[in-house]
Amino acid sequence: MNEHLRALLLAVVVVNTVLALTTFAIWFERKFAGRMQSRLGPTRVGPFGLLQPVADAFKLMQKESIRPRQADRVLFELAPLLGATCALGAAAVVPLAPGVAPAQLDLGLLFVLAIGAVTVLPIFIAGWSSNNKFALLGGMRAIAQSISYEVPLLLAALVPIVLTGSMDLSEIVRQQAEGRWLAVWPFFLGLPAFAIFLLAMLAESNRIPFDIPEAESELVAGVTTEYTGMKFALFYLAEYAHTLIASALAAALFLGGWDGPIAPGLHWLLLKTFVLFGFIYWVRWSLLRFRSDQLLSICWRWLVPAGVALVAGAGAWVAWGPTP
Amino acid sequence: MLQVTTITRRVDPHLALDLYDPEAELLLLHFGPQHPSTHGVFRMDLYLDGEIVVKVVPYVGYLHRAVEKLCEKLTYAQITPVVDKNDYVAPMTNEQAINMAFEALLGIEVPRRARWIRTIFAELQRIASHLLWLGTFALDLGGALGGGSTLFLHCFRERELILDLFEDVTGARFHYNTHTVGGNRHDIPAGWSAKVKAALDVIESRLPDYLSMTLANRIFLDRTRGVGVLDGELALELGVTGPILRASGVDHDLRRDAPFHAYDELEVRVATETDGDCLARAKVRLREIEESIRLVRSLVDGVPEGVLNAARPIKQPAQFKIPAGQAYVGIETPRGELGTYVIADGSANAHRLKIRPPSLHALSALPHVLPGATVSDAVVILGSLDPIMGEVDR
Amino acid sequence: MAVRPRTVDDGSSFEHPLYTTLLNTPGLSVSVAALDDLLTWGLTNSLWVFPMATSCCGIELMAAAASRVDLDRMGTIVRGTPRQADVMVVAGTITVKMAPRVKLLWDQMPEPKWCIAMGSCAISGDFYRELYSVVPGIDTFMPVDVYVPGCPPNPEALMHGLLRLQEKVRASRRGEQVVRDPNPALLAITKPSVPRLVDAERTAEIAAAQEESAATSTAAEARAPLEFEAPAARPADEGLERRLHADDAAHFPREGPALVPVEQHLALARQLKAEGFRQLVSIVASHWPAGRGRQGAEPAESEHFEVAYLVRRVGAGSRLAAWAVRLAPGEPVASLVPLYAGADWQEREQYDLVGVPFAGHPDLRRLMMPENYSGHPLRRDFASDSPAAPWR
Ligand code: SF4
Repeated sequence: MNEHLRALLLAVVVVNTVLALTTFAIWFERKFAGRMQSRLGPTRVGPFGLLQPVADAFKLMQKESIRPRQADRVLFELAPLLGATCALGAAAVVPLAPGVAPAQLDLGLLFVLAIGAVTVLPIFIAGWSSNNKFALLGGMRAIAQSISYEVPLLLAALVPIVLTGSMDLSEIVRQQAEGRWLAVWPFFLGLPAFAIFLLAMLAESNRIPFDIPEAESELVAGVTTEYTGMKFALFYLAEYAHTLIASALAAALFLGGWDGPIAPGLHWLLLKTFVLFGFIYWVRWSLLRFRSDQLLSICWRWLVPAGVALVAGAGAWVAWGPTP
Repeated sequence: MLQVTTITRRVDPHLALDLYDPEAELLLLHFGPQHPSTHGVFRMDLYLDGEIVVKVVPYVGYLHRAVEKLCEKLTYAQITPVVDKNDYVAPMTNEQAINMAFEALLGIEVPRRARWIRTIFAELQRIASHLLWLGTFALDLGGALGGGSTLFLHCFRERELILDLFEDVTGARFHYNTHTVGGNRHDIPAGWSAKVKAALDVIESRLPDYLSMTLANRIFLDRTRGVGVLDGELALELGVTGPILRASGVDHDLRRDAPFHAYDELEVRVATETDGDCLARAKVRLREIEESIRLVRSLVDGVPEGVLNAARPIKQPAQFKIPAGQAYVGIETPRGELGTYVIADGSANAHRLKIRPPSLHALSALPHVLPGATVSDAVVILGSLDPIMGEVDR
Repeated sequence: MAVRPRTVDDGSSFEHPLYTTLLNTPGLSVSVAALDDLLTWGLTNSLWVFPMATSCCGIELMAAAASRVDLDRMGTIVRGTPRQADVMVVAGTITVKMAPRVKLLWDQMPEPKWCIAMGSCAISGDFYRELYSVVPGIDTFMPVDVYVPGCPPNPEALMHGLLRLQEKVRASRRGEQVVRDPNPALLAITKPSVPRLVDAERTAEIAAAQEESAATSTAAEARAPLEFEAPAARPADEGLERRLHADDAAHFPREGPALVPVEQHLALARQLKAEGFRQLVSIVASHWPAGRGRQGAEPAESEHFEVAYLVRRVGAGSRLAAWAVRLAPGEPVASLVPLYAGADWQEREQYDLVGVPFAGHPDLRRLMMPENYSGHPLRRDFASDSPAAPWR
């Protein structure tokens, strides 16, 4: 009983923290994009426009909730909930500080990757159930893209697993403590794996240059075309939460997670996460978009073979490399 | 993978295309008339096999504002501000085309000073128009929530510089109403040429940025190379003009081949490409920006002295009559040959006034180049044709 | 953000019973008012725009979102789907063909929603308002909250309009003003209608005007003498190319392109194309009511049509050639589509607007007007605000 209560409390705390961070991230992105485009971004709502996402949330709450007559009743309502749940669920295992993770799972990484793989389902459900052709095309594209990019993502994640010999995220981070980050040594394995992981992550979270499922210039708003108000807000939130958590994950896997001098661990994790997050948005606001067939050919022609080679290399390194 | 041959020869685009099989299960996607990437209110019905466009049926006319009827109703002197609104991305050249047709009918020789100023306006307008095209094309490629919008906003920023220049002369950001029969209404203010040069310097210094996001960018190249190939012969038959025609390997530019304004005193270097794809069109337009900058630089200091208007200002529009006769004048606008066909009957109103919009002809190439492309490409191809619906529908 | 205590009988736009109960509970009203203010604050500070941008004003709408003005400063972003927008900015001319779509999109937007009419076209139809194809103002078929006048309004003006909209939203949430006139008749309108123009009196007026214009047109020769000396007509030359030579401006045959017999028209086109005139420039049909005719020819006594064809030889030393055919009403002319692919849309347009039939055209549908439209608006006997226009 006590234990369940504690877990519940922790879950509430973590989910709300992630949500708060997500609102901040949305503001961060809008400001960042504004600066890149030589404009200001939000300035009028709250200091520096900080409250802009909050105002958006209050606005979206009050909007009429429309379900198109021809839409699938149950699935249409379910998709945004599922989407948000999947995106937030992954936050459970990210190690925040030495010895602190919301949930200490032995197979934490597996859990994250599994949840990450499921996130495509709500997108497809949304695309299918909206009964809108743009949404349907978006859903189809999302399926093709996510399933393909799942492979390099897994392969890249395998590299730290092989190198550290553990699937527990906290353990992986602990082994990288005191500057022994995987992206630093062995860099010829860690850096390429990190790059592949980032690319696949961009694709998984549908970010430019891989955002073809929602390609606004082609598909209006992709799978979310028919969603209004809070349901749309959930998608929007899930998208950002997903990116944010994926950044945290990448930081944990390759950049030593909470490891860093002086300040406590959580600060370092946040810093690394936001640097990665900023990188993703830097890419997003400066690149154009691929076409779906080009996207898949990049995945299967380049990323997958490279991933396989890296995993083999990691195995060889563990077997015959110098022992630390 | 489905093997697709791009259709560039005459297959009736409405009824039967090689790939179109009415029995097959095709997805009919109504694209427009209100869609972020249709460049206004244009609708095309795409028949999709997966993501491949098998057949396309375009519909125009959602912005048919009856301009030609209005021009028959208004007196000649009142027409200029109306035609401004046709090609709302390049209003200057609209005004010029219509007034040149009237001048031809009246046999008026426009003073040299006015012709120089018109040339400067036309070239500045070309820069502004191509910048807007580049921005919207980037939006089509990169989406409103991504790199596309960054390029778009940068292009808009530079375009504002040119609008400011026009505002200095005419007092309006666009829809200038500055050309009249026989010359210009507004003279250029003192110190304007220095401002022009300053603005051009800024634009020129930022062109490399655009190139790095477009012609030097791998994604841009991948998305545009070999997409939407329009062969030169077909382009001619369709009446496609301007950068699209030049990108298809036809070396034709009215500025050089049938000089108007002050172009007979200038050497215009015509940019051509041979591939006929979206990349070639982008290259041609980007080179034209550079060429226009060069032309304006060479013009702006040497504006000849003299009167600005050969005719007296029109006091009573109803008394301004044009002798009966017919005339056609075509000029090179940013989008190609903008023609005006006037039939005057001796009164103060035209008997018939037909505007030949370059965009309509460019858009009519769509059913020929789209089949075989994907939905993503469809947006890009449409963007590369640079249609302005105000001009297409009039 | 100021929290104002509010009295219970303060008129509120919410009708939910729970809300009333809460308001009547002592002590709660203050917090409810605070919550209400919070919600209003959210609503006003996040007005997402659906750009119903049809023409020139749309460019200024884009400019308003661009760097110099930057609507994002006040939290306004542009959404491509009506489902996620709060404000529809109608920027541009709305035609009878477009109006049903605008109404549909408006209906797809979730409440609460507002509409800004940007530019004279959206407000009143601008100078197109009397014409057959333009809706004279969008408020004839949908509600409008804020009017931003101008042609086009500057981006700053649009910004101002959005700020005024914020004020309006605040005021209406305070109960100071009715949100929108809930006129059921207005809401029930699915097609634009312009009652003011279809009433009987007005129709009679138009008919009278039509008669009058027909009368004046027959008296065309009685008009004022020419002010300018018309250049002498060029002598008809031997040789096809010389005869059709019509280089721009000064050289265009003043009396109109050379007339060729209808039967020879296709052969002539083929010959010209073989001689290098491969670019189709334009096809222009014109209507000549009885008693009027092209200058130079003796006035044709009967009603007829003329179709002028312009083709060009491109490249250095480009030349233009033009010819025309004269048609009796209803008489078809051979289509040029087999020769020039571009004739397709050109002929459809001329068929649509002038009503000349083109024999052998593969797909002779209307191009500009809705398919169920009747009448050919560019005929001389079609008054521009004719009651034949569908919405009038
Ligand atoms: S109001 Fe003027 S600028 Fe705006 S759409 Fe109408 S004609 Fe164009």
